[in-house]
Amino acid sequence: MRTLLGKLVRLVIVLWIVTFFSFALTKLVGGSDDLVTKLIPFGSEAQKEQLREDLGLKDPFLTQYRRWLGNFVTGDFGNYYLPNPRPVSEVVADSLPVSLELMLFAQTLALAVAIPVGVFTAYRAGTRLDRSANAMAFGLLALPNFVVALLLAIYVGARWQLLPTQSNQVPFPLNPLENWRYMLMPTVSLALGQIAIYMRLLRSDMIATLQEDFITTAKAKGIPTRRVLFRHALRPSSLTLLTVAGLNVGALIGGAVVVERIFALPGMGSRLTEAILGQQYVAVQSYVALIAIFYIVINFTVDMLYTVLDPRIRHARAIA
Amino acid sequence: MPERSPDAAPPPTSEEPLRRPVPPGEAIVRTLAADEATRDVPPDAISLRLAAVEAGPETTPERRGLGVAAWLAVVWLLLLGAVALTVPVLPVPDPTVDAEPALARQGPSLSHPFGVDGAGRDVFASVLWGTRVSLFIAVASIVAGFVAGGVIGIVAGYFKGRIGGVLGSAMDVFLAFPQLILALSIVTFLGRTVFNVTLGLAIVATPVLARIARASTLSWSEREFVLAARAQGARHLRIMVREILPNVLPAMFSIALLGVAVVIVAEGGLAIIGAGVKPDIITWGNVIVRGQGELRDASHIVLAPSLVIFLTVLSLNYLGDVVRARFDVRESAL
Repeated sequence: MRTLLGKLVRLVIVLWIVTFFSFALTKLVGGSDDLVTKLIPFGSEAQKEQLREDLGLKDPFLTQYRRWLGNFVTGDFGNYYLPNPRPVSEVVADSLPVSLELMLFAQTLALAVAIPVGVFTAYRAGTRLDRSANAMAFGLLALPNFVVALLLAIYVGARWQLLPTQSNQVPFPLNPLENWRYMLMPTVSLALGQIAIYMRLLRSDMIATLQEDFITTAKAKGIPTRRVLFRHALRPSSLTLLTVAGLNVGALIGGAVVVERIFALPGMGSRLTEAILGQQYVAVQSYVALIAIFYIVINFTVDMLYTVLDPRIRHARAIA
Repeated sequence: MPERSPDAAPPPTSEEPLRRPVPPGEAIVRTLAADEATRDVPPDAISLRLAAVEAGPETTPERRGLGVAAWLAVVWLLLLGAVALTVPVLPVPDPTVDAEPALARQGPSLSHPFGVDGAGRDVFASVLWGTRVSLFIAVASIVAGFVAGGVIGIVAGYFKGRIGGVLGSAMDVFLAFPQLILALSIVTFLGRTVFNVTLGLAIVATPVLARIARASTLSWSEREFVLAARAQGARHLRIMVREILPNVLPAMFSIALLGVAVVIVAEGGLAIIGAGVKPDIITWGNVIVRGQGELRDASHIVLAPSLVIFLTVLSLNYLGDVVRARFDVRESAL
């Protein structure tokens, strides 16, 4: 209980520092005049004065931060400026579901492939099949997700025209099949690298588990191999895998931003990219803060889940 | 002492090992995984890759010479290094000046081995020139991260008390940001120059390397030779530099090799997002960006730098693996 409280306090502190950092980002651009000039380079002097007023740039730094944070936690993420003014929160509401869907699909696909392959290669450790699967995974690790995305876009998309590359994305509930056609290539691009990581982790844990006595016992009782592998050995071997899969969200976020950009998928990543290219600094600031907060909260949740999943850790922590 | 875990390989005297000896890498995977599980720190891309790479090819510890694959990797990297240094005097066109618009989007040929891009620039020359900037960014940011991370990590690991706690928490906050997002926000707000991209990636790399240095320092500073040095009246600085640093370096070095690979990929990713070096400076990432609009008619523009990035990352990953395997052998021989 005490550790849980400690963790919560820590979580709040980290969140607080991260929002502070995100807020301070716009100060890196330069003084308040520089910022206003960058936000609306062609605005009239009156418009610039108005913007300075709106952003409260004349107040002391900490006052600005307090106001920004107050707005942020109530869902006001600032505004886009010229040429197309609108609140950032509207854009977030449209694009966040797309990104979440992409990451969910990618994670599911990665685990769905990596678990059977990992189990099988561990069972057949050292055979030619195992070695070639390993060599392939090693190659996949060296293949950046944007390269996979570009290869898919060139061949599957442009040359063979099997799947659309420029996305006119249909929301999942409206037409799942059509939605999948748009999501398939981005999902595969993100998932391939994860498959290699997960497969190798599971394989190494599984090899260790398969040498345990209870596996020998299970085999001696005549339980079919498949059942031994998936019912007896998989569960104790999968803890590391699950933790890493949960904590890997950070890598997925970065990858998703790049992959969304390549396939013009209208998720947070594409919006972030557009905001960067359009010098919409206020929007970039909010996106960065939102993504970081999302990541931190996911990590926290995984950490909590892990404690629930593995009683040994619960005990170790209670003692410590 | 981690060496004497029940999972350790059987003593070498027994003819038939009861269990399959655990390959050198796997012990680290578990330590690493256990470390992740008991700490609040999310693992970073590099340590995840490390874990995955570790579980990989089981290099037999007996083998002394470098394998053929390792030599190929070394040769490839040396070649890239040579290109990066000598490209201004190499007999290739300068893609910032020379362009033949008549040939735009032409595929690979003898005079243009990687083809020509949309503005009539030679892609082969672009990739060679890109090597210069891309490698500079990758190596410089990792060297900076190595030095900063090494100092912070060793100090944090050596002074376990308040100093270690404060430094550790500071690193945790940096690790709490998704890496690419941290780098892109630094570059976006400071401006898209080579220096800022290098700085941004160095800031991302520092806590990762600091964490490795800290973990390594924690275990080494418990050893007898450190105690002996202290008993002889050695000062903290001397112990850290003369006793601990040499032992921490191999682990950091193997991670740094992976780090260079991660940074090369990150440069490409940043360029695609529009948060890399400005497009008029040639990097591998920017060559890809040039070809992005012409995937159907001129896919070679994108494929050439992608292939080079792939081979480079593959070589670095492999060498990192080899360094680690050797270092483990040496450590267990102590």
